Amino acid sequence: MPKNFSLNSNNDKAESSETVLSIEHLYKSFGANKVLVDFNLDLVRGENVVVLGKSGSGKSVLIKCIISLLNPDSGSIRMFGSNIPDIKNDVLDKIRAKVGFLFQSNALYDSMTVRENLEFPLRRHWISVTQRQVNAMVQEALEEVGLAHTIDSMPAELSGGMRKRIALARTLILKPEIILYDEPTTGLDPITAKEIINLMIEIRERYTTTSLIISHDMNCVRMASSRVVMLIDGSCYASGSFDQLANNADPKVKQFFE
Amino acid sequence: MYKLPYKMIASYLPSLNIFLKEAGEIARFTGRFFTQWFKPRYEIAELLRQCFVIGYRSLPLVGLTAFILGLVLTIQLRPSMEDYGVASQLPAIVGIAIIREIGPVIVALIFAGKIGSSIGAELGSMKVTEQIDAMEVSGTNPFKYLVVTRVLAATLMLPVLVLLGDAVSLYGSWLGVNIRGNTSFYLFWTQVFNSITFSDVLPAFIKSYFFGFAVGVVGCYKGFNSNKGTEGVGRSANSAVVVSSVMIFLIDLLAVQVTDVLGLN
Amino acid sequence: MENRTVNNIKLGAFVLGGLLFLVVLLYMIGANRSLFGATYLLKARFENVQGLVAGNNVRFSGIQAGTVKNITILNDTVIEISMLIDKKMLMIIRNNALVSIGTDGLVGNKVVNIVPSKVSAPLAKEAEILQAKRAVSPDEMLQTLYTTNNDIAVIAANLKTTVQRINSSSALWALLSDPSIPKDLKISVAHIRDATGKAGNIVDNLDLMVEDVKVGKGLLGKLMRDESLAKNLEAAVVKINRVVEQADSLAGEFSGLVTDIRLDATKGKGTLHTLLRDSLMAASLTNSLENIQQGTDGFNQNMEAIKHSFLLRGYYKKLKKQQQKNEKKQE
Ligand SMILES: Nc1ncnc2c1ncn2[C@@H]1O[C@H](COP(=O)(O)OP(=O)(O)O)[C@@H](O)[C@H]1O
Ligand SMILES: [Mg+2]
Repeated sequence: MPKNFSLNSNNDKAESSETVLSIEHLYKSFGANKVLVDFNLDLVRGENVVVLGKSGSGKSVLIKCIISLLNPDSGSIRMFGSNIPDIKNDVLDKIRAKVGFLFQSNALYDSMTVRENLEFPLRRHWISVTQRQVNAMVQEALEEVGLAHTIDSMPAELSGGMRKRIALARTLILKPEIILYDEPTTGLDPITAKEIINLMIEIRERYTTTSLIISHDMNCVRMASSRVVMLIDGSCYASGSFDQLANNADPKVKQFFE
Repeated sequence: MYKLPYKMIASYLPSLNIFLKEAGEIARFTGRFFTQWFKPRYEIAELLRQCFVIGYRSLPLVGLTAFILGLVLTIQLRPSMEDYGVASQLPAIVGIAIIREIGPVIVALIFAGKIGSSIGAELGSMKVTEQIDAMEVSGTNPFKYLVVTRVLAATLMLPVLVLLGDAVSLYGSWLGVNIRGNTSFYLFWTQVFNSITFSDVLPAFIKSYFFGFAVGVVGCYKGFNSNKGTEGVGRSANSAVVVSSVMIFLIDLLAVQVTDVLGLN
Repeated sequence: MENRTVNNIKLGAFVLGGLLFLVVLLYMIGANRSLFGATYLLKARFENVQGLVAGNNVRFSGIQAGTVKNITILNDTVIEISMLIDKKMLMIIRNNALVSIGTDGLVGNKVVNIVPSKVSAPLAKEAEILQAKRAVSPDEMLQTLYTTNNDIAVIAANLKTTVQRINSSSALWALLSDPSIPKDLKISVAHIRDATGKAGNIVDNLDLMVEDVKVGKGLLGKLMRDESLAKNLEAAVVKINRVVEQADSLAGEFSGLVTDIRLDATKGKGTLHTLLRDSLMAASLTNSLENIQQGTDGFNQNMEAIKHSFLLRGYYKKLKKQQQKNEKKQE
């Protein structure tokens, strides 16, 4: 049985200064295209870090390296006591079960219903789980995002905002300790975007998850961040609270806040 | 003296390069299939689902084409058979033609058109919309879950489709014989069975496994390596059909050589 | 969940359906090839098995009776075939039955035919060697045709020189203008003149025909496909028939003439020496004509055989139909 089956299991070990994710000297390039150059970042439990960068700066590459969808050229990514680039598949799967990933394009499985979409990670990670438990967890995750009535719909029948929420529910269903959001509000209208941001804040408060949010949406950055990291030219150019960075005089930082 | 059109040949060289590169990539992809398909975890449920989608759902299309094929082939052959005074041998000739060659190849081509393109498009759009990444993050080896199941399903289902296609096609042929002649169902089948031998049935049956494998591998390869954007998806669907159709003919050519060498003709 | 079960049932039925057809197919072939059920062995020895291979069918009076098991070369002129025969034939095939190798329709599969003899004999036992009969293959038939054709070409050449000699013989023409020769003999000589003219035609016809046949030489495949060749052959047959008739009457006339001349000679007419000289020539002419007749007879037989060979059956059937149609029109 998975040890983090109960919803509140994370609360017990909450320690405010515990580092849950530590990235050091990360390098990644595609041919001559140097995307990440000596990138460093530490994530403390319970904080919401926003990585801010213009499009094509390598934000998606960064979080894909974290979840091992891409292999970095060098550097370490330490999470749950392991260095991600070094570990084997079975260990990796166990770690992945504790890390949620919200894809930029939602990545809902077109050929499956909403229910099957949510069941998929459950059945995949927790092989010995009964149908009743699965049903209950699907129901709960859908209620969390307020879309319990869409359980038998196909993703193609839903609006963009609904799909984003279903994707979020699918990310939440495994009760992850860390959630990686890849541009959660891109492509949504401002009102729906705000709803999603509120949902993200709510989730962090309820489950004390640690979040790494990738965005260039300033609304999202202001509302959701406890810390902002600026990814410029492949490395961590500046970091601090939203207000600190907003008042920074550096022209490269400034251009994001104009 | 005949001079080689060097310029023309040179203008083809880049595409030759691309062709060779692609052939190498497909070979590597096939190698990856062989290193993965027998290792756990086995995606049995997904395999069955793919068999259903790839095999059972193709039956109406294959059946219709095969039926028309048998009917038309018989009607077309009759006049020349009559010229030689061997119209009574029509079932034998059509039987051999369908079972040996036309059945497997036509059904495989139809299959490539339907399944090759749908696999290419499906995996292509899954790739583009990050569904494949999502699967990997969800503790699933997408190669096993998506590719191995589809390749196996295509490999296992095409021979079944070919067999049923042969049967339907011969039924169509029987109707074709009876448009202008009068041959009982029983006599027709007796003539067919009398004319064919193991060396007609078995090579055709075996080669249809290879046809199915080719369609599966090419479709998956094209989808899995699809470019970003919806145009990329369309292109992978299209080239999956083209490449797998060509592969079918190449395999057919190879098969005929092999059976020849083995003395199975 | 339930849907998935239904789908799997459908899938199962689908696969079983395909496999069932395969099994039926293999079983039926197996049954035809006597792979199942009880069999016994019979043998026969041939000089040439004409491409027969193991697995070919064996028929008894046209009924499927078994298959060829293997073919072994005993020495450079004897090849032994072993046949697996259904046990139910054990009480039917006798040891004096004749075995021959034939072809099964256009498909070209060789078959072994066992034909019973009219005389009664003991039943054939396990591994007994039956007597083999050489079958005439279409190949051989055509070969004979070409040989005959060549013979005719030679005869035609002979005839040509004879005819030329007659035409250039001054003695013969002198006879015609000799008033001392009786009228009836004169008529006969005039006939010879006519006949030599006809013989010239015959030679031309023969030459044409020999060419016609040569065109198709060796091209069995062409013969099977090309309708015009079949037509040529048909025309050739008609010509040959006419030639034979002409040769017949010509030979009759010559022998009559020769008798007449002999009669005259005994009567001691003045042209005796010339006639004697010419009578030798006349004899050689008669001889030539007889040769033609023999040759054309052989040729005719071959043509008849070809007519009935399966290769041209379709064509002749069509021709017959056409004729019937024409007859009906005329009625
Ligand atoms: N799989 C890949 N192969 C080659 N280049 C890639 C790949 N993924 C990303 N890149 C390149 O890396 C750079 C950063 O991409 P990405 O991280 O997607 O940008 P963004 O910050 O907008 O998410 C881009 O220049 C992109 O072309
Ligand atoms: Mg991105």
